[in-house]
Amino acid sequence: MHPDEKKALRTSQLSVNYGKTPVLWDVTLSIPEGKLVGIVGPNGAGKSTFIKTVLGLIKPIAGKVDFFGKPLPEIRQKIAYVPQRETVDWDFPITAHDLVLMGRYGKIGILRRPRKADHAAADDYLDLVGMAAYRDRQISQLSGGQQQRIYFARALMQEPEVYFLDEPFAGIDISSETVLMDILRRLRTSGKTIFVVHHDLTTVESYFDWIILLNMRLIGYGEVSHVFNPEMLNAAYGKSYALFDEVLKLSRQKTTGME
Amino acid sequence: MDFTLFDYFTDPVLRAPTIGSMLMGLAAGLIGVVVYLRKESLLGETLSHAAFPGAIAGIFVASFLGFTEDITTLFMLLGAGITAFASIYLVNWLQVKVRVPSDAALCFVLAATFGVGITAASQMQFTHAAEYRRMLSLLYGQTATMTDFHIALYGILATSIIVILALLHKEVKIVAFDRNYAFSLGIPVKAIESIFFFLVVLAVIIGIRTVGVVLMSAMLIAPAVSARQFTNRLSTVFLLAGLFGICAGFIGNYLSLTLTHSFSSATTRVSIPTGPTIVLTAATLCLFALICAPERGLASRAWRIMLFRYRCLCENILKCIWRLSPEDGTLTQELVKYFNTSPSLVRLALHSLKRQGWIQNISHQVWRLTPDGKIKAEKIVRLHRLWEVYLADYLGVGAEKVHRNAEEMEHIITPELEEALTKLLKDPKTDPHHQPIPSKNPVL
Repeated sequence: MHPDEKKALRTSQLSVNYGKTPVLWDVTLSIPEGKLVGIVGPNGAGKSTFIKTVLGLIKPIAGKVDFFGKPLPEIRQKIAYVPQRETVDWDFPITAHDLVLMGRYGKIGILRRPRKADHAAADDYLDLVGMAAYRDRQISQLSGGQQQRIYFARALMQEPEVYFLDEPFAGIDISSETVLMDILRRLRTSGKTIFVVHHDLTTVESYFDWIILLNMRLIGYGEVSHVFNPEMLNAAYGKSYALFDEVLKLSRQKTTGME
Repeated sequence: MDFTLFDYFTDPVLRAPTIGSMLMGLAAGLIGVVVYLRKESLLGETLSHAAFPGAIAGIFVASFLGFTEDITTLFMLLGAGITAFASIYLVNWLQVKVRVPSDAALCFVLAATFGVGITAASQMQFTHAAEYRRMLSLLYGQTATMTDFHIALYGILATSIIVILALLHKEVKIVAFDRNYAFSLGIPVKAIESIFFFLVVLAVIIGIRTVGVVLMSAMLIAPAVSARQFTNRLSTVFLLAGLFGICAGFIGNYLSLTLTHSFSSATTRVSIPTGPTIVLTAATLCLFALICAPERGLASRAWRIMLFRYRCLCENILKCIWRLSPEDGTLTQELVKYFNTSPSLVRLALHSLKRQGWIQNISHQVWRLTPDGKIKAEKIVRLHRLWEVYLADYLGVGAEKVHRNAEEMEHIITPELEEALTKLLKDPKTDPHHQPIPSKNPVL
C-alpha cells in the first residue's frame, strides 16, 4: 500500500483569507485513518473555516488538501459534513425523516427520486440516533439535542469514511451528547476518521484520540497526550488561557480524584 | 352583461385574461415557494422592476421593425427576460466585487433599472404614443387586451416551470435548506441556483403583463406564505401555493369584471383594474391564512393560549380546594378571592370541573373534591413540589424564589418529564419549604 493511503487527511500550507484579513495561515498536517480528532482553539481561531476549506466550501488562497491521497472531487461521496446547527432555518417545511433522507441526495444523483431502500435507511439511522419516534415531526418541533441527532443521522446516511462535525455539542442536552459520543466512538472503532470542532476543554481528553490545536495558525496536532498540555494551550489561548487552566484542574479533580 | 362561470373559460373576450391570470398565479405561486423559503422576497421585487426597461426596449425594437402584435409581445417578453436576468448578475457583482450588502445591492438595482425604464418610456410619450400606452400598461398590468396567443405562450412558460421544479424538486429543496451541506454532497449548487433564477425570471415576465412590475413580487410571496400556514410538508406547500395562485388569478378577474359592471351606471363609469384586484385577492387569502390557519394561525394560537390559561385555572382551583379543606368543602365565595380573574370565569371553571367528575356539591355553592379529584389535585401539587426541589437542588435557585416558577411549570410537565424528575431527584418526600410531596400513585 502506498504510504499516502493511510492518511485520512493531509493539508499542506493551507492559507485562507476573508477579503484581505488572513484567517488561517500555513496549516500543514496529516491525520492517520481511524482517529477521533478534536479541533480545538479559541473563538475566531478559524476552526470552522478550517473544515469548510478542507471540504471545498471556502476557496483557500494557497495550499493543497487530500483525503487518502486523493483530491476532494474524487472522493467527495466518502466524506460527510455536519454543519453548525444555527446555520439553517429550522422552520423549513420538512420532517425529521425528510432531513435525514437528504444524506442520500448526492448518491441518488440529479433528476432521480429517492428509492424505497433510501427511505428505509433513513428510518434505520433515525432509530440508531434514538429518534425513530420523531420521524414525522416538523424539524422546528425538536429540541436542540434532537435536531443535532437527526443532523448527524443525515451524515450517517452517506455511509462515509470521514466525518466533519462543526460544534455538534454546542447547546445540546447531556443525553444527546452521550448518544452522539457513543456513536462516534463506535464509528472510530470500525475504522472511520472523525473530526469534531470542539469548545469544551474539560472533555477533550476523554473524547478524543488526537487534537488539532488552532489559532489562526496551527499551534500543534497529534495525540492528545502529546499536544494537550499547558504550554500548547497557552500558545493557543494566550492570556485567556489562565482561566481554562483553572477549569482543567477542576475537571481533573472531578474525574481522577485529588491530584 | 351576465356571465356564467363557464363563460370565463369559453368566451373569446373573457377567456384570455382569465386563463392568462390563472397561469400567472400558478407560475408565480410555485416558484414563489422557493423564493420565500430562501428568504429572498426582495429578489422578486428587483427582478420585476429590472424587467421593465427590457420590456420597453423590446416593444420599441419591435415597433421600429414594424412587427405584428404577437411578435411584439415576444420581443417584449424576451427583452424583459434579458434585463431581469442581467440584473441578477449586477446584484451579484455589486455584492462580491464592490462589497455592497445584499439588501442594498437589490434595492439599488431595483431603483436604477426602474428609473432607466421610466425615463426611456417617457421619451416616447410624444413620438410613439401607442407604444407609450402599451409600456405604461406594464406598470400595473392590463389583462383586458390579452389574446389566445398569450394563453399559449404563458401555458408553455408555466408548464416549463412545473416540469423543471418537479424534476429538480430534491435539489431545489436541499439547496434552499442547507446550501453548504448540498455543496458538500457534490450537488451542483451554482447550476441549481442559476436554474432557480431563470424560473423566477420566467414567472416575472408572465406576471408583468397581468399584474404589472410594481405588484408582481406580491404574487410570488403571498401564495407561498399562505400555503406555509397550512402544512409542514414541502410538496404540499408547493401544491397549495400553486392552487392559491390559480384561485387569486381567477377570483381577481371575476371580481374586477363583476364589480366594474355593478358599480357602473349609465352616467358614471367605474373601472376596477384586474391586476391590482388579483393582488388584493392573493393578499386577502394570505391574511386569512395568517389569522385562521389551524396550527400556525394567529387565531388558533390565541385560542390555544386561552385554553391553556383555562386549564391552569381549573387545576389551580382543584389545588386550592385541596389545600383549604379537602373534606368539609369550600365556598365559591372563598375560592373567588384566591384568583384575580373574574368571578364568573371561576364559576364556569367550577361547573366544568364538576361535569368532568373532579368535584361535587355538598350543598349550594359549597364544593368538595371527589376521590378522583383528590388524586388529581395531589398529582398537581406533586409536580409543583418536585419542580421546586429540582430548582433548589440542581439549579441552585433560592428556596424563596422557586414557588413562582413552579406555579407555571406544574401545568406543563408531561408524565415522561415527571418520571425523569422523580428518578433524578430520587423520589424526594419533602419540598424546599419542608412540605410533604404526595406520592406518585394513589395511596391504597
